[in-house]
Amino acid sequence: MKVTFPYMGTVIIYKKLLELLGHEVIVPPRPSQRTIDLGVKYSPEFACFPFKVIMGSYIEACEMGVDTIVTSGGHGPCRAGFYGEIHKRILHRMGYDVDVIIFDAINRDKDKFMENVRKIKGKNSWIKLSKAVKFTYDLLKQIDVFDKEIHRIKPYEEVPGSTYKAWQEIQKEFDLAYDKKQLKKAVERSREIINSIRLKKVDEREKIRIGIVGEIFVVMEPSINMEIERILGELGCEVERSQYLSEWVDFNLVPSFLKKTHEEEVLKKGEKYIEIIIGGHAKQTVGFIVDFKDRGFDGVIHLMPFACLPELVSQSIIPKISKEHDIPVLTLSIDEQTGKANNLTRIEAFIDLIRNKKLGKFVV
Amino acid sequence: MKVGIPKALLYYYYGPFWEILFEELGMEVVVSDDTNKKLINEGIKASVPEICVPIKIFIGHSIDLAKKNVDYIFVPRMVSIYKGEVFCPKFMGLPDMIRHGVEGMEDKILTCHIKSKNDDISDYRNYIDVAEKLKISHDKLKKACEVASEKWYRFREYNKKGHHILEAIDMVNNDIKLESIKKYDNDVKLGVLGYVYNMYDGFVNMNVIDKLKDLNVDFVTFDMLDENELRKYIDDMDKVLFWTFSNKLLGAGYKFFRENEVDGVIHITAFGCGPDSFLGKLFEIESDDTKVPFMTIRVDEHTGENHLQTRIEAFVDMIRRKKAKAVMGG
Repeated sequence: MKVTFPYMGTVIIYKKLLELLGHEVIVPPRPSQRTIDLGVKYSPEFACFPFKVIMGSYIEACEMGVDTIVTSGGHGPCRAGFYGEIHKRILHRMGYDVDVIIFDAINRDKDKFMENVRKIKGKNSWIKLSKAVKFTYDLLKQIDVFDKEIHRIKPYEEVPGSTYKAWQEIQKEFDLAYDKKQLKKAVERSREIINSIRLKKVDEREKIRIGIVGEIFVVMEPSINMEIERILGELGCEVERSQYLSEWVDFNLVPSFLKKTHEEEVLKKGEKYIEIIIGGHAKQTVGFIVDFKDRGFDGVIHLMPFACLPELVSQSIIPKISKEHDIPVLTLSIDEQTGKANNLTRIEAFIDLIRNKKLGKFVV
Repeated sequence: MKVGIPKALLYYYYGPFWEILFEELGMEVVVSDDTNKKLINEGIKASVPEICVPIKIFIGHSIDLAKKNVDYIFVPRMVSIYKGEVFCPKFMGLPDMIRHGVEGMEDKILTCHIKSKNDDISDYRNYIDVAEKLKISHDKLKKACEVASEKWYRFREYNKKGHHILEAIDMVNNDIKLESIKKYDNDVKLGVLGYVYNMYDGFVNMNVIDKLKDLNVDFVTFDMLDENELRKYIDDMDKVLFWTFSNKLLGAGYKFFRENEVDGVIHITAFGCGPDSFLGKLFEIESDDTKVPFMTIRVDEHTGENHLQTRIEAFVDMIRRKKAKAVMGG
């Protein structure tokens, strides 16, 4: 079975899980102009941008000989839950004979879910499956710690680019870990790599912290969000996202009696503005803006795919939140139009405003 | 007290119910004007640029009502009218969007969660929030719901007997008997698929209905069909869409394509409609498989109507020619 998956964020995670179960994994190429072009060509015109990128990614993977695609489903109201169904139909009409395995919530259709699990499990024992899942989960938790740290120290690096080089090395370390012992070693090595980065001393009052909120795909996948974390880092800002894969897993897949996630607190903070969960991450978006403010961040960038249904609701409400909580928010809508200059200018201007505001506060 | 009901979105499906409901509750009901240029422009100004036209129009209607000095504007939160299904996120967040997004609306919005097992949303428990805000007893609310429900069922009955929604509303309001409206019998019959607020808002679709009538074309819409019948056509899918009205359209579409009852299918959709981006693809695939002619008309805030006239004429001409050819060729 040659397997692939949607390309989003730190892809070594999905790769790892499938590899541990003995599948031949084909990682699609990092989304490029070609990916986007292919996706746009074969997707419905008004499908959202993540749909198109993933479409392109699947086509590229099919060209590489994939016969199975594993992805997650959903039950609305956001369109993302239906991606797999439409992707499948389009791929089949293009003549690719691929099996698309879509994981929906277990409580909706238990039989279908178990059937899917068995397909993925193959000949492995249940113990091996659960071990593989546990190991991947631990790895994910660890790698996200470093992901967060990298973007916190990036603006203060002495040698430009050294942090990102370190991040590449760290991902390689994790990629090589296949058991607990190796994982422990990878963590130690990564810690050393991070510690070896030389950092400038910066006065606490001059530090600028920016939160990134919005739809999960454009927030997590750097290749299509102009590598916004890097851009902000180069402009001297610490960055934290509202979405990390491990948190997504905690919130969506781990049974609720086992955890008390930060995300639930965040949802409460958003309640005033969006009463119920309306799909996607709209409620999280408004909650996180308030949360970032509470945690002392200086500004928030809101990313959304063009015409994203839930995020349009949050976008409508953001001006009010921004005013009530006195936190600047910049909304950027991302689509197949890849010219960067206009967004760059907006981001730079936004950061300049924040910096001036902050300096002004201390001068007065 | 004056309660305003925006003449937009699901007004074209539940309007007959909501109007009577508030009248029975002793309110003075104000319905906003028909959609017009000025009203749309107000809506556009007050909403985020990327959002779909129907929502912009709804916001325009809300502003229109605010100008008419109503005490409250009724903006229900449509959550679900079918088990396991929901509405588009924009419907579910509509009161939030207007309350927090449009200036001066915060205290004017009258809202409640609408959850139901089927199309009938007359359960009084849906409106308890409204009754409490208006200081109305549950008994009175219950009675009002019953009266309004009776009328809504009559409206749906006329609708399902082949009269489109505007006709059916008119018939219910003016107590016109069912027999007194003549039936059409033309050579071309089309299936027209579109949400009620795109189909029946003459301004946004530039009077598609009249244009079809002028061309001597009969048409069927999803609302003229029975809900249970629509379900039959999507029951065998692994996974249906999440949005109930989209599923209604899907069921109607599959029926049109597969049953050979119509000569062609037109899908009327609004610019930026998310659910329709997938729905439309499913129709395209179906049209490919069944060879039934299919056309998509996308409406937005632009108002030049010549292109629409041309496209509809061309589509109907093509069908007429195809039919003539089939007859001649034996």
